[in-house]
Amino acid sequence: MVKDRVSETSNEVGETPALTPIQPEIERKTRLLLWVRAQLLVRTRRELKDLLLKIVFAVAMLIVVLPFFLVVVNLAAVGLGGLTLDFFTTLPGPSLAGGVRNALVGTILLVLVAGAVGIPLSVLGAVYINEYSRPGKVRSTVEFASDVLAGIPSIVFGAFGFAFIVVFLGVGMGLVSGGLTLAFMMIPTVLRTTQEALRQVPVSLREASLALGATKWTTTWRVTIRAAFPGIVTGVLLAIGRVMGETAPLIFTSGNSLGLPTSLVGPGSWVASLPYTIWAYVSDPRPYLQVKAHTTALALLIIVLAVDVVANYISRRVTRRLV
Amino acid sequence: MTSEEPSGNSLLLRFPRRIWSYVLGGLRTVRRVRGPAAQDLVGKFVLLVPAFAGSALIILILTFLWYEAAPIFLDPRGGPSILVQPIWDPNRDLFGISVFIVGSFVCTFLAIAMAVPLGVGAAVFLSEFCPLRIRTPIRMIVEMMAAIPSIVYGLWAYVVMVPWIRDSFAPAVQSNPLTSWMPWFQGSTNGLSVLAGSIILAIMLLPTVVAVSDDALQSVPRTYREASLALGATKTETARKIVVSAAIPGIGAAIVLSLGRAVGETMAVLMVTGNSLQIPYSLFDPTYVMTSIITNQLGYAFVFPLWRSALFAVALVLLLMSISFTVIAKWFVRWGMKTRGLV
Repeated sequence: MVKDRVSETSNEVGETPALTPIQPEIERKTRLLLWVRAQLLVRTRRELKDLLLKIVFAVAMLIVVLPFFLVVVNLAAVGLGGLTLDFFTTLPGPSLAGGVRNALVGTILLVLVAGAVGIPLSVLGAVYINEYSRPGKVRSTVEFASDVLAGIPSIVFGAFGFAFIVVFLGVGMGLVSGGLTLAFMMIPTVLRTTQEALRQVPVSLREASLALGATKWTTTWRVTIRAAFPGIVTGVLLAIGRVMGETAPLIFTSGNSLGLPTSLVGPGSWVASLPYTIWAYVSDPRPYLQVKAHTTALALLIIVLAVDVVANYISRRVTRRLV
Repeated sequence: MTSEEPSGNSLLLRFPRRIWSYVLGGLRTVRRVRGPAAQDLVGKFVLLVPAFAGSALIILILTFLWYEAAPIFLDPRGGPSILVQPIWDPNRDLFGISVFIVGSFVCTFLAIAMAVPLGVGAAVFLSEFCPLRIRTPIRMIVEMMAAIPSIVYGLWAYVVMVPWIRDSFAPAVQSNPLTSWMPWFQGSTNGLSVLAGSIILAIMLLPTVVAVSDDALQSVPRTYREASLALGATKTETARKIVVSAAIPGIGAAIVLSLGRAVGETMAVLMVTGNSLQIPYSLFDPTYVMTSIITNQLGYAFVFPLWRSALFAVALVLLLMSISFTVIAKWFVRWGMKTRGLV
């Protein structure tokens, strides 16, 4: 093998063995320096290639995370000035000069309706397939269905919600239709994370409960669910964070309104939502609405990221199943 | 001949009889149980309903999209040939949706071509070379990127990226003699283009690609890496030739999943692709994708049965595509697990 010396750092080979067992007496700064030097140490052509490829991979990583900072910085630069408490407590009013209270309240109401329908459905479904069914046709059917649901485009949910709930069932646009459409979108996330959380509960807990004479029903609700609770909350929060930012399903199902909803069905129940408001404001040519769109987007971003961080904080161990 | 018929017959006859015996047995159990056991049994049947809510929903969605899309497929002015006809003009009863399918595919494949090399490279860095101390924050940023709503990405792309393409990128590549001859850089642009759409799409796909590929790389057994390093391979050689090839099924699943997301992405693409009824020949041409046409026109088309039906046909095509991408991704993972003995 050819061992051509490429770099002049080769005289420092002797220092590398000191690195492999991390010695506590070396102070942190020196250790970092030694580590960097060891990374840059190049002796052969293969090692040069190794170093170059590592740099390429690191640059790819940088490019991947760069847009996150670009988006946050841009939104903050334009929208941070308008982000006051007034912005959330006043209605848009004439010529949309006010705040976005209607959108904030609308989003909260929509999420409440979606959660009230979607969370019980998916948690109970997950309990059934994990606790009551044996591995086989039933379980794989339910798992497959939720994976397919997770992949369906949001606009298809919107079109379906429009055709089925709004027109066929005759509910009409508004809070109920929008909330139900979002509930459908919550099912896969909550179901899969709940199932994962239930799976991680040790069998011995269930066995102990059953050995004490408890029925399966009692065991499930008193023991298993409690042990899996953090995981379930994580799934619920992830799903809420996801549906909160959805625009496409709401365009044809929830309508839009500049005030707060006054009734449960009918035209009084039309609600605005934060994402829809952003879209409406961006499409508007008036320049001050562009700024308001940025402020609304910043608010939505902060809420969604906060929900996401809390979800991750509650349970780092529940893996996000994407397949 | 004679021996076959009775056996087929008896199988057909035996089948309902078996189900009947199950039902009878179930009824007998129901009658016998008392107290807590009854509660248990009732609970089991009650939970069966939410368990199949997902499957019922999919069947319902398919039924309704078909029910709404059927008129255009059965009408003489439409028919199944709308899938390949290129002209969309509802005022003249021309409902060719192929322009949207092509637009969607162009955007999707450009986005995939950008997102997959970058995302897999980043995942390799994250899983193989990244020091543990910065791994956790980067993983967190990637998960946050996945959580950012598409309307926020769309707003950023519309306000920052579109003017950048119009004012900096397009003049730069069109005045540079090295790149100005390239056919995909021709044409004037106002920034709203297939390029803008596919870049924002790529940014939105990256978190998925990175997260799923990283999971796949992490699940490769440690011993594989150790064996390769013990044979004298460098770290990148190990990463490229051993770890990545062992994780190919997972990475493949990531790609197929992100294909599905790219085709179905709505708001961001709607805001930056320009929404013009043409097939893009250059990166700077605007286009119209499937999700945009539904979002833009379903509101107006509501009162015109054929027009509305054509839009639901687009939705049906989208739905079938997303279902098939999910199936392919699952199949990919199962195949990979089997051939690599990781089950």
